Amino acid sequence: MTALVVLVVVPPLASALAVAAGARARGAGNVLVAGALVSFASALVMAVRVVGDGHFQALGGFVYVDALSAFFAITVSGVVVLASLGSAAYLRAEEDSGELSGFQVRIYYVFFAVFASGMLASFVAGNLGMLWVLIEASTLASAALVGLEARAPSLEAAWKYVIISSFGVTIALVATLFLFYSGSVLHLSSNERLTWPYLFAHAHALAPTSLRLAFLLAVIGYGTKVGLVPMHTWLPDAHSEAPSPASAMLSAGLLNTGMYAIIRYQAIARATLGPRYPSNVLFVFGFATIFVGVLFMVRQGNFKRMFAYSSVEHMGIISVALGFGGVLGLYGALLQVLYHAIGKAVLFLSSGHLVLGYKTRESAKVRGVLGSLPLAGGVLLLASLAVAGSPPFGVFLSELTIVRAGFAVSEPLLAGFFLLLLVIGFVALTSTTLTMAAGEGPGPVVAYPRRSGRVLAGVPLLVGLVVLVVLGLWVPVGLDHLLMHAVGALR
Amino acid sequence: MQSLSSSSIDGTLLTLSSVGILLAAFACLGSKLFNRYVAYYGFQSVLLSFAAAVVAYHYDSAELWALAVITLALKGIAIPVATQRLLLHRLDLKRDVALSTGLSTSLIVGALLTAFAYLVIEPADLPHGVVAASVVPLSTAVVLLGGLAMVVRRHTVAQLIGWLITENGVFLGAITLVATFPFIVEAGIFLDLVAATLIMVVFVSGITRRLAEATSSELRGLQG
Repeated sequence: MTALVVLVVVPPLASALAVAAGARARGAGNVLVAGALVSFASALVMAVRVVGDGHFQALGGFVYVDALSAFFAITVSGVVVLASLGSAAYLRAEEDSGELSGFQVRIYYVFFAVFASGMLASFVAGNLGMLWVLIEASTLASAALVGLEARAPSLEAAWKYVIISSFGVTIALVATLFLFYSGSVLHLSSNERLTWPYLFAHAHALAPTSLRLAFLLAVIGYGTKVGLVPMHTWLPDAHSEAPSPASAMLSAGLLNTGMYAIIRYQAIARATLGPRYPSNVLFVFGFATIFVGVLFMVRQGNFKRMFAYSSVEHMGIISVALGFGGVLGLYGALLQVLYHAIGKAVLFLSSGHLVLGYKTRESAKVRGVLGSLPLAGGVLLLASLAVAGSPPFGVFLSELTIVRAGFAVSEPLLAGFFLLLLVIGFVALTSTTLTMAAGEGPGPVVAYPRRSGRVLAGVPLLVGLVVLVVLGLWVPVGLDHLLMHAVGALR
Repeated sequence: MQSLSSSSIDGTLLTLSSVGILLAAFACLGSKLFNRYVAYYGFQSVLLSFAAAVVAYHYDSAELWALAVITLALKGIAIPVATQRLLLHRLDLKRDVALSTGLSTSLIVGALLTAFAYLVIEPADLPHGVVAASVVPLSTAVVLLGGLAMVVRRHTVAQLIGWLITENGVFLGAITLVATFPFIVEAGIFLDLVAATLIMVVFVSGITRRLAEATSSELRGLQG
């Protein structure tokens, strides 16, 4: 099992090694794709093992894998597979057109690898101090991707991203300190007092006042990463300025990693303080987040920023679902994590085609994509319907589950308000992408001059879209088991 | 393990140095010159390193000795020197004109935040007579003051210093509240890495000139 954990975490780093050994864009891209596939396959095997044999622990709790870890590892390594396919095509096209130098391409692959491995490692870390270090390390690596294009706006975005998330880092550290302090009455060794299974098992004995502070600070600190309002301001800038595959990684990877930390803290807080307090905190942040995300989507001229605000909205939805709690709420939240991750990865990757083809990020200047770039246009339209929550796609199912969870815990007012916000978000997102996809196009537009690039860039779009449709119509038995185990691990 | 009592000599030294750290934060908030910011920050870091050494001596903890040395070397010397050489000299920064409030206003808000810090740290949580009961409110105040500095100053270098002050506050709280925290040295090194990244982003980036001449309030390219 330890070998399996290593096989989940380490393979993406192979592309960093390849770059160190002197590989160019093409070679490094291929190595990255291969590494991501190995990670993804290992994560699947890990999930099967965890569902079969229960959780796994090693190195005094530093490594801890349960169904929740396995679920997030599958989600994020799946995103890494899609994004690395996209990267291989996007970076080659950017290097050919002279937009990026060979040095920038090498930087990209090194930091992309560190970013991916750091996120995957944080899911298998049982120690919450270690979790902090890994999440922050992956954030630092991703800052390099945001500033990669080295134009004034992308450096501005990188500065905003680093300074805001650095402040989040320190708040999350204070949360970890207070969590550690809340266990001072327990007779546990220093390491055990930060190790999730021990803390969760002894949650009833933790000091409630400092744990309350720890949970609140964790929601703020890690919420900076998740993009909860009002700590979300870095998010649209970073997403719009990063190269599109990196935006996909940020939106579908990093945000979920932060959410993972919040879920772990919430489970401990709920066991100690009862469900009321953690739920209220998550409701306040969740509804504010959905509200702001939706409002900014309505009048957003830059399509990558609009997708970023849609991510903000979805993170709010997940927080509200966690707030509803119960089996239904947690199940819905995890489903939403998975479906949003795939949908948003596909959406940002298709936006990469538009940026390369139309050389703009303004949605007003993009018309007739269906005619000029049929694949990207079709995917853009369908993926935005999927992300907005239209049937038959997965997000419809998960949002329905969340609304049901709201009624199940007898919060009909909150559930109704939630639905209203979702409707506004739906209209805002799909009306923009609809006008982009339809209309009079400028004629044929070339996104990827080379045939190999077109194939490489097309594969993740099609694969992601098929997965979205299939998962929307049918939750596989294995996934259902995994989710139920993950929910069980938190209660 | 005995917790540090506030009446012992070690406890008194720790309380005194935390008061010094708070004063340095206020001094920084009340100043307008870039080299003062850096000087006050350096002084504060030296005090923090002294506080860490006191706690390390009391608990006889090798980790905390390491933290004290690292704090002195990196935060007390390396970061101030790097900021001074790389940012202030190269970019010719003298007077900070990008303040969104007057100095006196920010000092008054700072005083309110300090009072607030005493209010939120519930005494029930910290037993009376333990030094943490007097230091943790102070460290919380330093965290808030650092945040305030980041809010009222719009220049990137000033925001950087604000973040560094916040970080010092966090570590002051950490060494008094949870001296046995297993990741304390790693966390210290890690946050210094973050600081180095921040300095790099300001310095290496091609818009250094623009960032230096303009203020972050003029960075209006990305909005909405």
